[in-house]
Amino acid sequence: MKQPVVAEPELGGGTTAEQVSVSIVDRSIRIPVLMFFGSGVLWLAVASFFWVLASSQIYTPTAWWTLPGVAWLSFGRAYPVFLNCLVYGWATCAGIGTGIWLLSRFTDAPLLNPLYPILASLIWNVGLLTGVLSILVGLTSGNELLEFPSYSAFILFLALVMVSLWAITIIWNRKPGTMYISQWYLLGAFLWFAWTYATANVALSLAPAPGVTQPAIAWWYAGSLVDLWLTPIALAVAYYLIPKFAGRSIYSYKLALLSFWGLALFGGWTGMTHLIGGPLPVWMITASIVAKVLMLIPVLAVAANFHRTMESDYGGLRDNLPFRFVVIGAMVYTAYSIEGSIISIRSVAQVTQFTLVTAGHTQLGLLGFCSMVLFGAVYYIVPRLLNRQWLYPKLLTAHFWFTVVGLGLLFFGLTIGGMIQGFGLQDPQVPMSAISDLIQPFLAVQNIGVLLLAIANLGFTVAFTLILLISAPARQRPVAIEQINEASESTEGEVSVA
Amino acid sequence: MNRLTGLFFCVSLLFGASWLGLVAYPYLTFAGLRQSKDEATGALAPLGVPGTATQGARIYAANGCLYCHSQYIRAKDEGSDIDRKWATRRTVARDYMFDRQVFLGVSRLGADLTNVGVRQTDPQWFYRILYSPQTVSPETSMPAYRWLFVTREIQGQPSADAVKLEGRDAPPPGYEIVPTDEGKALVEYLLSLKRNYPLPEAPEATE
Repeated sequence: MKQPVVAEPELGGGTTAEQVSVSIVDRSIRIPVLMFFGSGVLWLAVASFFWVLASSQIYTPTAWWTLPGVAWLSFGRAYPVFLNCLVYGWATCAGIGTGIWLLSRFTDAPLLNPLYPILASLIWNVGLLTGVLSILVGLTSGNELLEFPSYSAFILFLALVMVSLWAITIIWNRKPGTMYISQWYLLGAFLWFAWTYATANVALSLAPAPGVTQPAIAWWYAGSLVDLWLTPIALAVAYYLIPKFAGRSIYSYKLALLSFWGLALFGGWTGMTHLIGGPLPVWMITASIVAKVLMLIPVLAVAANFHRTMESDYGGLRDNLPFRFVVIGAMVYTAYSIEGSIISIRSVAQVTQFTLVTAGHTQLGLLGFCSMVLFGAVYYIVPRLLNRQWLYPKLLTAHFWFTVVGLGLLFFGLTIGGMIQGFGLQDPQVPMSAISDLIQPFLAVQNIGVLLLAIANLGFTVAFTLILLISAPARQRPVAIEQINEASESTEGEVSVA
Repeated sequence: MNRLTGLFFCVSLLFGASWLGLVAYPYLTFAGLRQSKDEATGALAPLGVPGTATQGARIYAANGCLYCHSQYIRAKDEGSDIDRKWATRRTVARDYMFDRQVFLGVSRLGADLTNVGVRQTDPQWFYRILYSPQTVSPETSMPAYRWLFVTREIQGQPSADAVKLEGRDAPPPGYEIVPTDEGKALVEYLLSLKRNYPLPEAPEATE
């Protein structure tokens, strides 16, 4: 089979004709993209509340402010609500919104029927709302990341099919000859996610799988969810925005292809590393470990490609906030994946398995990588949709620093605390209560980290609400934000490389 | 076949491989599991789970026990599970063949519960740790599940399953704290967690 052509992301040549056509495209997708972004931001706020609650409850289960004794606010429900809101509410909504925006840009044709994605976003939110309420009242399936009961899952699946069909159709009808690397990732993401989601829900609730097949499928799903949905969406954003911001075309198409096919090949196999030593055939677990380690190939290909595209010129990060979010997110992706490979190796997993290390790893991926990149995408896209500026640049800068510091504390607390917990668990002489005692200070650190992240997310919610409500005329713009927008704008027109 | 069809095909094929390996294969394989029959005594293992216990499994899921407790035992050379006296052998697929919902769990903030019904046989112990975990283990970060209990006036004789509590947690005089049906079902489920029968594929671990 001949390889399809991978063209570089649109660069330079900022002719008037192109600017006009872009704005027509943006106008046609304004409402659906903003609906996905807006609901994503709301769900992020909900997730943050439950996150603070759950992490405080783990730290001090009896303190009055962790609301002990209230069934629907207890840890066993707050934690899955947090995780599901973060993944399906925030990351997936923001991801779909970004996907619609990117695909429309690439096709360069206005959206013919904006009602269709609007309807999809409404259905998706109905599914989320029923799902979250079900968890709160205790109607859950008991599989991590698949807690939503079957009726909610079915509603979500409907919306997902609508969006995926739209995305695949628009890629199918693209202009002949060119296919951007971001389009590859988006094609994969929309194809894989609907498939995995349907499989997991059918096999776990409609036609329940026998015995240990359930956890096997649930963890296959969780691995695929991260590696074949959230990751390709975030990488599609990064592959589009990093060259754009850097003002250069992507360094190597071949490396980009390697990273895509590597992900497609290994991504579906990674989930069983959660069940090392579990009651499943050894080959299934070994295959996952191998896939997780080989995943380093596409990861390093991405890292090398971005690094060479930047040409070690990271100066632009200072003034350009969306750029900073995306680049830091892409860097975290490398670190996160390397950590993932290390903790999957059997001898390491003997210590880290069952500990806070794995929780820290998951949250690093969801927050440090996916969310960071998606924050950058929202910051970049929304001003273009509304032809407005972000108000209060200090708020955006605070969002960035609170996120980075909060994430640092969270990761430090969970990783170091988790390693102590792991060594404790490994020694049968150490009683469980002593381990609880040992990790207490680290839970405090992660609790502070979560609090900072929640404040950051709240700031983001405020910034998003303000830009929706208040139109800032260009002349009254604060100076700093002018720089931010000029810096990102300049790459769209004539590119000058300093 | 144009290029895009080829791309579609390849993308689906690569993903389909993991679907076949990690979904279809175990689905078909583990549907065919049978109980093991002891040659000498003719005893079958594992045995099915009683109905209330199945009810309790739902309460276990609803309250998120699985986010801190695991239910599987690794082989002796793969971890300290057996040295911690949580079990005497590793668990295998057959141990879970009758479970409507399987909660392997991936976190051990709390103890493993594979065999908790072997370690603790008194429902009172479970009622106490669910009502007031810190009275059983002061350092624990386990939350109290008080909505699984009601405080009510003692009518005639005190109930047999009233929770025996002291100090701050004790009910006012003339009152008692008893588990609700949900609480009873959950404890029934926890008591039923006894994967201590012999299976040929998982021999007892030796020193």
